[in-house]
Amino acid sequence: MTSDSRIWRQLKKNRAGLAGLLIVAVFFLLAAGVWTGILGQDWSDAGGGRWEPPGKEFWFGTNLLGQDIFQRSIYSVRTAFEVGMVVSIFSTVLGAVLGSLAGWYSDSWIDHAILWLKGVLDSIPFYLFVAAVAYALQGQDWAMHIAMIATFWTTTGRLVRAEVMKIKSREFVLSARAIGLPDLLILSRHVLPNTLHILLIQTTIAFVAAIKTEVILSFLGLGVHDGVSWGLMLAESTQEVLAGHFSNFLAASLMLFALLMGFNLFSDALQDAYDPKQAAI
Amino acid sequence: MTCWGKLGPVTPLIKSLLLLCLSIASMAMLPGCNNRSESEEAAPPATVYRHSMDGAPSSLDPAQASSIYANFLAVNLYDTLYRYKYLARPYELEPNLADGLPEVSADGLIYTMHLKPGVHFIDDPAFPEGRGRAVRAEDFVYSIKRQFDPATRAQGAWLWQGRIVGLDEWKENGSDYQQEVPGLKALDDRTLQIQLVSPFPQLTHTLTQGFSAVVPREAVDHYGQEFAIHPVGSGPYRLQTFNSASAVLVRNSRFRQEPFSLSAEGFDAVSQGHLGLEQLEGKAPPLMDRIEIEFVAEDAARWNSFIAGELDFIKVPVSQFDQVLENRDPPDLNATLAENYHLIANLESGFVHTDFNMDDPRIGYHPDPDRNTRNHALRCAIIEAFDWRKRNEIFYYGIGYVFDGIIPPAAPEFDLQKHHVPVARDLEKARNLLSDHGWNAENLPVIEYGFTSSVTERQMFEQLRSFLGEIGYPQEKVKPLTFATYGDYARAYLNREVMLMTIGWTMDYPDAENTVQLFYGPNASPGSNTANYNNSRFNQLYRESSGMQPSAGRTAIYREMNQIVIDDCATISGVSRRLILLWNRDLAALPDRSFVGGFFFRFVAPRGQSGAAQAAE
Amino acid sequence: MRYALSKLAHGLFLVLGVTLISFILMVWFGPDQTYTLIGKNANPQQIAEVRHELGYDQPFARRYVDYVAQLFTLNLGASNSSGEPVSRILKRTVPITLALMLPGFILGNLLGIALGLTAAQHRGRWTDHLINGFSVTGMSLSFLVIIILLQVLLSTPYGLNLFPVRGWQVDDPGSYLKYVTVPTLSLILVTLGYNTRFYRAVFVDESGKDHIRTARACGASTATILWKHVLKNSLVPVLTRIMFSIPLIVISGSLLLESYFGIPGIGKATFDAITSGDQPVLKAVVGLTAVAFVLIQILTDLLYRLVDPRIS
Repeated sequence: MTSDSRIWRQLKKNRAGLAGLLIVAVFFLLAAGVWTGILGQDWSDAGGGRWEPPGKEFWFGTNLLGQDIFQRSIYSVRTAFEVGMVVSIFSTVLGAVLGSLAGWYSDSWIDHAILWLKGVLDSIPFYLFVAAVAYALQGQDWAMHIAMIATFWTTTGRLVRAEVMKIKSREFVLSARAIGLPDLLILSRHVLPNTLHILLIQTTIAFVAAIKTEVILSFLGLGVHDGVSWGLMLAESTQEVLAGHFSNFLAASLMLFALLMGFNLFSDALQDAYDPKQAAI
Repeated sequence: MTCWGKLGPVTPLIKSLLLLCLSIASMAMLPGCNNRSESEEAAPPATVYRHSMDGAPSSLDPAQASSIYANFLAVNLYDTLYRYKYLARPYELEPNLADGLPEVSADGLIYTMHLKPGVHFIDDPAFPEGRGRAVRAEDFVYSIKRQFDPATRAQGAWLWQGRIVGLDEWKENGSDYQQEVPGLKALDDRTLQIQLVSPFPQLTHTLTQGFSAVVPREAVDHYGQEFAIHPVGSGPYRLQTFNSASAVLVRNSRFRQEPFSLSAEGFDAVSQGHLGLEQLEGKAPPLMDRIEIEFVAEDAARWNSFIAGELDFIKVPVSQFDQVLENRDPPDLNATLAENYHLIANLESGFVHTDFNMDDPRIGYHPDPDRNTRNHALRCAIIEAFDWRKRNEIFYYGIGYVFDGIIPPAAPEFDLQKHHVPVARDLEKARNLLSDHGWNAENLPVIEYGFTSSVTERQMFEQLRSFLGEIGYPQEKVKPLTFATYGDYARAYLNREVMLMTIGWTMDYPDAENTVQLFYGPNASPGSNTANYNNSRFNQLYRESSGMQPSAGRTAIYREMNQIVIDDCATISGVSRRLILLWNRDLAALPDRSFVGGFFFRFVAPRGQSGAAQAAE
Repeated sequence: MRYALSKLAHGLFLVLGVTLISFILMVWFGPDQTYTLIGKNANPQQIAEVRHELGYDQPFARRYVDYVAQLFTLNLGASNSSGEPVSRILKRTVPITLALMLPGFILGNLLGIALGLTAAQHRGRWTDHLINGFSVTGMSLSFLVIIILLQVLLSTPYGLNLFPVRGWQVDDPGSYLKYVTVPTLSLILVTLGYNTRFYRAVFVDESGKDHIRTARACGASTATILWKHVLKNSLVPVLTRIMFSIPLIVISGSLLLESYFGIPGIGKATFDAITSGDQPVLKAVVGLTAVAFVLIQILTDLLYRLVDPRIS
């Protein structure tokens, strides 16, 4: 077992990982600023001229409608965090629950059913599945989130299942069973906590995947309905870059890249810390 | 054991990979430079016109030629009885497969038309021995019947529905092609007779549509569903290849020989003299061996392809107007482009307008007379708040034609004096309308604006929301209702579920009847009256005018109808977009995207010796 | 033999599951083509006719059974939009997609293996860190951003302007390279980070195993170990990854590339089918992908047993 303090020590040594965490923290503050109404509230106002260059009034310039690209890219931080958090948390929880059930009752009908479900979801091409869910839930604000959650949990589920099967045969679990503790209690008290590192890492990975998927879905017209996101800005930019207007593209892609980079560095450091066998340090 | 150096076995692997990449990259670039000249040298001196479209037809069956893209192809692969003169503006009818304009009986009910002699379908395995047979009047009868046969999934029946004696009954009796339709008869192989239920002066116009193109029954039976991608017609071109990205048409060598006549096509030396069209005189279309059509939905991609010289024609995307035009009004091509291209700026033959769903009691008709009045005030306030100047500026580069009402400038009945208003908005008036009728931020209804989720439509929504914000409409009360496909959007608005929707209507023929019918009560959804507008006076005027020949009297009625809709505040209307068309100077042509449309393909010609000589003069 | 049969039964269940879920989502609740097929002034009767023609008025069970039957008899029907038989659409589009995706797919994996090996070999040193940095950067780039960027840089006057902006007019090797390069580079860039990361992990994992340690203890050089033992023994996870990527990369990956670059492959056909509600095409693509996926799973499983008889 890896102790928390050792993990923390490992993490602190990893400068790239810390930098990643810092980046994520900064973005989170921006998102919090939007949530609390301090930042990015004028993202929808069309007060400027069309395609104004960056300047004093509009730091990143304006888009076709004369909307402030700076405001929009800041407001998009909130959208990114909303999508990322909702999808990563729910998909990880779902994966943890289904994975641990499958692992605990391995080779029973529960396991088979869950494996079957996972197999089915993995066999449908991802964007097709997401598009299909988006149609089935036509117009629902959460269509995109549900589609991602429904597919993202499978990896977490697989990892948790394997880990639970390992832990199941450990002594402390065997003894807990021997004294007749109920299954669910053992699972939630003794088994799941030991898979936390997997869940933590998977959450960061799902976060990154969710934000990336949002971009593609919004480009395809299946993503964010109301509001603004980097995906919508990039979709706008596809109509602009070839005419020489790069503000939307640069603002959205650089901020997107920075946030993803931050998350990836942090996620990397986490993985290294938990799995020093793989670490490059 | 051999002791390899540390990087020994790995490095060659990487090296070879890098080499592979490099060689691929270099191979990719070399032909990129050579390819053009090589293919030009090797190719036979076939003449090619490379056209571009901003959308693709899904079917080439004339019965499904509902989009402008499908219509362009249908009228080239097939023959219609009539077309519009190539060069005459305003547009004028011209016989195509028909030998002369129809002979109409005194009561306007019986149309008699003759086909030109010696017209043949192209050779195709569908015919006995693969030889295309002569086109007969019976083929036209069959083609119109097909529109009414549910198995065809045809989209053009509405043009003739309830108009031709016995045709609707023919459908009700099971669409049996053996059964005769009394009002649609082939008197002999080359004579047609149509008998109308009531006068329909627009009939001849409908016979220019791709929908009315003549198809041979053998091919429909032979290819079944695949007929849609296997056209067999008698048009100036035949299909070589077709997919969602491109279509290639080649000259139909058996197309009837009809020498081109400048005067018959309505040539105007003053406005068209620089296009090199004089050299067409006496030549028989089609004048190009090959037409390659690229379907490119993405504006920027289409533009870049054009600028790279891969296309001869483009409808310039609005995002490029900046770089294309020297002056906005009148639109004038910048000097660099003018060296290689011709420009024409036409108003579209239609208009864009945003309808209120009058069937929705939140904003339209309401059983309670008081609320009904308040809804009327609300709609009028929204119309007043709509900033047409800005809409035009942002989305149409400020050169769209903003007008008031439902008769667009492309219609001959358009009232230039009255309805080309500079459209100043009056925010004060709008706010007063709201407050006078008891509307405030708390009790204003939530507005749901429907659109298919594309970038431009979303931007239009956001702009509308900002307009409404300026009269105190809270941002959270103006909501998007997005649909991922046009089909789902259409389902919603045709089922009257969308409160506010923007409709781009393209006129089928140059007659305002085609746009006033958009507000005729009985045409309500799922008909094309998407506003579900219903005004008894308007309806009565519509019925009154429907059989009338174009005349001052009819125009007066149309204008009265127009005013009724304006007074009722049923629609935010409208703008006619200005289309900027560019084409290669090496061609003698006058492209059109309006009523002539696809008919111009056959007249496109390489600007041969005479053109060059003129330039040298 | 019994094993193979049970695998097959398992696969059958999977296919049924996939078809059921995709049917419910894409057909039952899916896009409705009725309203794109009706004319301008349609009346309710005409709408009903179109629905009938499309088979939308049939009950759920009937339509689902028809779908499965179609799939198993490979009688896929014809597109509702164009009337072209679905089998012909597949025949026309799949080769284009393969031609489009294969170079990027192969190069992306080969480069990933090469970089992964190098990193594993130099584990902990600056080469490893550098490669790691590369892959994290690659993983942080959105596919869409890469596509737009490469298009601007390589195909427009704002950049090098070397390649066509879009399209696919391929009739000889030269034109093929012209059109395939930008999509290929995009695909490599977007997958390389993940591939490198994955392969490095596999190789590092393998280097930590007992027999490798033994070999190392016996004095074999690092390179020999990597080349002879690690790479060979990593074959199973490497092959698995490659096999499983194939059906998904063909559909999901090409969906974006083809719709962005306007390439008439299966991805574009699928995208068009989605946006126009062309259910026969959609049903065939989803169904066949699922079947392919299940077949690959079974094959991979058998392969495992061939390579490593200990797995049971």
